[in-house]
Amino acid sequence: MQRIYLDNAASTPLSASVREAMDPYLGGSFGNPSAAHRLGVEAAQAIDRARELVARATGSRAQEVVFTSGGTEANNLAVIGGCRARKESGRHLIVGPTEHASVRNAALALVDEGFEVDFARLDAEGALDLEHLADTLRPDTVLVAQMLVSNEFGSVYPVRQVARLTRARSPHALVHVDAVQGLGKRELSLGELGCDTLSISAHKVHGPKGTGALVARDGVELAPLMHGGPQERGLRAGTENPAGIAGFGRAAADAEDSRPRTIERFERMRARFAECLASFEGAKLLEPGAPRQDIMPGIMTAFIPGVPASVRLHHLDRAGVLASAGAACNSKRKDVNPALLAAGLDAEDSRRVLRFSLASTTTEEDLERALRVIETVHQELQAVQS
Amino acid sequence: MTNFDASAPEMILVRYGELALKGKNRGMFEHALIRNMRAACEPISPLRIEQRRGRITVIPERRVGDVARRLQDVFGIKTVSPAWGAEPTPEAIAGVGRAVLADALLDFPPGHQVSFRVRSRRSEKRFRMTSVELDQFVAPLVLEDVANVKVDLKHPELTLGIEVRTERAYIFVRRLPGPGGLPGGSLGRVLCLLSGGIDSPVAAWMAMKRGCHVDFVTFHSYPYIGEASKQKVVNLVRTLSRYQSQNRLYVLPFTEIQEAIRDNAPSPYRTVLYRRMMQRLASKLAWRDRTKALVTGESLGQVASQTLENMTCIGAAADLPVIRPLACFDKEEAIEIARRIGTFDLSTLPEPDCCTVFMPPKAVIKGRLDVCEKAEADLDVAGLVERSLAGVEVIDVPGC
Repeated sequence: MQRIYLDNAASTPLSASVREAMDPYLGGSFGNPSAAHRLGVEAAQAIDRARELVARATGSRAQEVVFTSGGTEANNLAVIGGCRARKESGRHLIVGPTEHASVRNAALALVDEGFEVDFARLDAEGALDLEHLADTLRPDTVLVAQMLVSNEFGSVYPVRQVARLTRARSPHALVHVDAVQGLGKRELSLGELGCDTLSISAHKVHGPKGTGALVARDGVELAPLMHGGPQERGLRAGTENPAGIAGFGRAAADAEDSRPRTIERFERMRARFAECLASFEGAKLLEPGAPRQDIMPGIMTAFIPGVPASVRLHHLDRAGVLASAGAACNSKRKDVNPALLAAGLDAEDSRRVLRFSLASTTTEEDLERALRVIETVHQELQAVQS
Repeated sequence: MTNFDASAPEMILVRYGELALKGKNRGMFEHALIRNMRAACEPISPLRIEQRRGRITVIPERRVGDVARRLQDVFGIKTVSPAWGAEPTPEAIAGVGRAVLADALLDFPPGHQVSFRVRSRRSEKRFRMTSVELDQFVAPLVLEDVANVKVDLKHPELTLGIEVRTERAYIFVRRLPGPGGLPGGSLGRVLCLLSGGIDSPVAAWMAMKRGCHVDFVTFHSYPYIGEASKQKVVNLVRTLSRYQSQNRLYVLPFTEIQEAIRDNAPSPYRTVLYRRMMQRLASKLAWRDRTKALVTGESLGQVASQTLENMTCIGAAADLPVIRPLACFDKEEAIEIARRIGTFDLSTLPEPDCCTVFMPPKAVIKGRLDVCEKAEADLDVAGLVERSLAGVEVIDVPGC
């Protein structure tokens, strides 16, 4: 049985070119990048090269890239470090309606430090409610965090407008964008998005786990979370991970290079998926906020009535198709996502939502095979139901 | 004696209660206790164990404090005291006692007046002083150089304990509680039916506490429930491995059985019939391993399948005794223990177990054995049991 992996929004396989880029730093070039001897210099050079590649992939300059242990740390650094550095200007922050837990919980952790947290919301159609956001912004707002691409639905939020609204109403605020699902799928650019910080992660684009970055516009003030040596401009102390970082550089560059082709293929595959879904009674592809908001086509989230998503997933797993229920990081949560409510789904329905997510390595033949499995499993499960 | 270093105790006095009373079986209980103590502690330090008349002394090569903490989880142990040894003479005892007291006082805030007493016992009756005489001899000597200590015989904050034995005297200041109960495995082997819930791990722990070595069996209905549900049960066993060194979990496939019951039996009886099959399967495994009883987390009236009638129907399918340690517990009582033994947070993770598969809209409350048996006559019970047993997965979890 051939395995078809459709959970790429959770993680992706390491690519051969990334593995090759990492290899020297898992072997002979093991020096501490801070060391003055040649082994140290080799490692430091690898980090510099990777920094350059990540900068290019995100439209930033090399000195604006801060390597971290992943997307979660990058989000924590932006949210907590950004607020702490601005606490003289105010103690109010706004968090997007469907942020990843690493943004939401970082923001809530600030409540103990006297910060007040407001949440932006979705309108009745599941798009970001910009009017409400404008009303929520205050002169003492010091941070606005809004993700670029939803890990749950692929919704692309209007980050540029968020940044403009924020600049006009909250002059002290840092605008942070969680772009973990955007790398390799949307053009990332500090300038175009108008944000101050942007977080990305290697393992979503065929890089290694345990490596990510916060891209922080020159001059943006952040209070470090990790204290120690002077690594990463003093924003992230601790000996760097040269193998991971070298792999990340390669992965980011590859993802950016293949982006136009990848997206084109995703569009075709999404259309095929929608066709297949249309033959299941009551099923629908969830596209909250569309067409006002774009959808990143590689994340295909569907409501399929019948057995709970977990049961369907185990059956698919057995038949070789690997997908997930909702967002992998949230699968233990019980509350209903606001975007699902906007799509007219209730708590019971929300247990019947599955996410199939593509990667640049997913071929159209893979998808066709997966669709056949999905259809077969659907028929099997319908028999169980009746 | 002046340069005696009392910053780290040298040995651990182990006191065990109940099992000393067990007459002719005592040797067997002590043997099991020592075996379990070794299994619990030897991963972190080699041990020398001395055993003399109702007392065990453990002399670890290193990490005495960590060994003491591990002993606190070994069933059969009432209390442990990290201790220092001395020649069994009043002078030597006082010398070590002085260093031990000076060190123990470092745990109190500066300036705090510490109430204190000396309490001796002697099992070596040839010792030239009585216990009271020894207290009175030692107290003034150990108090000579310390400030801010006053003697209080009634409610002291600090007791300098002395035990005089033939081989040496022991000096200690702390008595740490053990879990009590009987040494694990001293009564034999049982098999616990483990779901992912709160009750069954508590039942397993209670059986361990009463001297049983517990093996585990769980039932897995892939792909109606997933790998994560199985992993949850493995993690529960891992948590319990703190109390027992060798842990075996049997995972039996249950999908075919549940499908057969769904398709052929009256739907209100599904849960009762699932559970009867579980008892049957567990009994078969138990006979294979010379296990003497089954253990379940059943609690009277807690859910629909746990009425007296249903428990009768379910229990009738087992062909060896079923121990239900929680039978008369309130839920809160089980939760209290689950929290204490560290299984609660795992048990409350929202992973489904196989009992939730094909749940009927209405379950029978007062099940009847004849109805169960009639329904099972339509099933190939022997074949289902055999195929499930053939698909067994064995997971061994070492102690931690």
